[in-house]
Amino acid sequence: MARELSYSYNQLIEKAQEIFWIHGFKGTSVKELAEHVGVSTSTIYNKYSKEMLFMDSLDYYTSNYSDPFLMQLRESTEGLESLKAFFFAIIEALLNKSFPKSCLMVNTVVEMRNENRDIINIYENYFRTLTDSYKVVLSKAFALGQIKDEKSIDTYAEFLLGIIFSLSILYKIKPKEELQAYIYEQLDFIQ
Amino acid sequence: MRYKEYNVNSVLEKSIKLFWENGFRGCSINEIVNVTGVNRFSLYHEFENKEGILYASLNLYRDRYCQEKLDYLKKEGDLPDILKEFYISFIDESNAIPGCYFIHIATELADKDEKIRTIVDTYLSEVESMINTLLQRNGISSESSSFLKRHLLGLYCTAMSFCLIHTKEQREKHVDTGIKVILKNYG
Repeated sequence: MARELSYSYNQLIEKAQEIFWIHGFKGTSVKELAEHVGVSTSTIYNKYSKEMLFMDSLDYYTSNYSDPFLMQLRESTEGLESLKAFFFAIIEALLNKSFPKSCLMVNTVVEMRNENRDIINIYENYFRTLTDSYKVVLSKAFALGQIKDEKSIDTYAEFLLGIIFSLSILYKIKPKEELQAYIYEQLDFIQ
Repeated sequence: MRYKEYNVNSVLEKSIKLFWENGFRGCSINEIVNVTGVNRFSLYHEFENKEGILYASLNLYRDRYCQEKLDYLKKEGDLPDILKEFYISFIDESNAIPGCYFIHIATELADKDEKIRTIVDTYLSEVESMINTLLQRNGISSESSSFLKRHLLGLYCTAMSFCLIHTKEQREKHVDTGIKVILKNYG
């Protein structure tokens, strides 16, 4: 008889996203996944499927990590200063040795690319939220007089979109001071 | 000495394709044996282990695929145009696999494997130093180029990762915007 699940599906996803986050979709075997979440491989094959657990892990990631973080950014009031704090917090999170993982969304983009329409939809949504959040903060920066030309907000939002992606690579290679200097200088381009 | 019955570079070419598509962790030595048609004993003899194949494949990729693209940075002409041509040469659809293998492997392994970290760092430093030379050749002071090069390298990392999923127009727009913002005061 199949083992009964002793906890909820949400708790299962919470465990599953940990291992996907570390090894990616393809790098996690069904066996490892089953061991990590504490069910048998046949439960994964018959009841859920690796794909389903992965999609729900992405969902878990956005609603538990990135959405609250971006919400906080949108509600901030200091314009460019708030952006700096936001990126510094990302550097801290990336360099936290007890939690050494880059953005799950970035990893997924690099790993899965054009292979799966559902995944493309998820990260297109993610990009839209990210871009919109940047525009909200940049508008506040304009109101504070930190940006001269209101028309440049869209250009700067597009520009800022790149930072998370370059940080996700650079944090693995460059020391913290250099990453912070990188953020200072990136924000200096916004005038 | 035994005559080698297989071509090392052809093994590496096939391995690049495998690692790129399935990730390093996502493919087994058995798959490499199947795809290359070279037995496990010979592979281990030549490369020691699966990591050895990966390291050698990065070197081959650098020489076979990056060199011609890096050479764009040595061209004469309009600075933003040269930079754009350089970035686009990697993400263009005409590549068998668009993007940069170094960045791809770094995303998966640079925080887990010290040797990969060093290999990627060496490659990125090379790109950065070539960008620096290009900037100075275009009349930008060494003081300015020393920080501009960092951001043009950052744009490289971004373009290679997230541009992969966007349409051609969106990729070009992101690269254009990046170049424009970074070089704004150095028209």
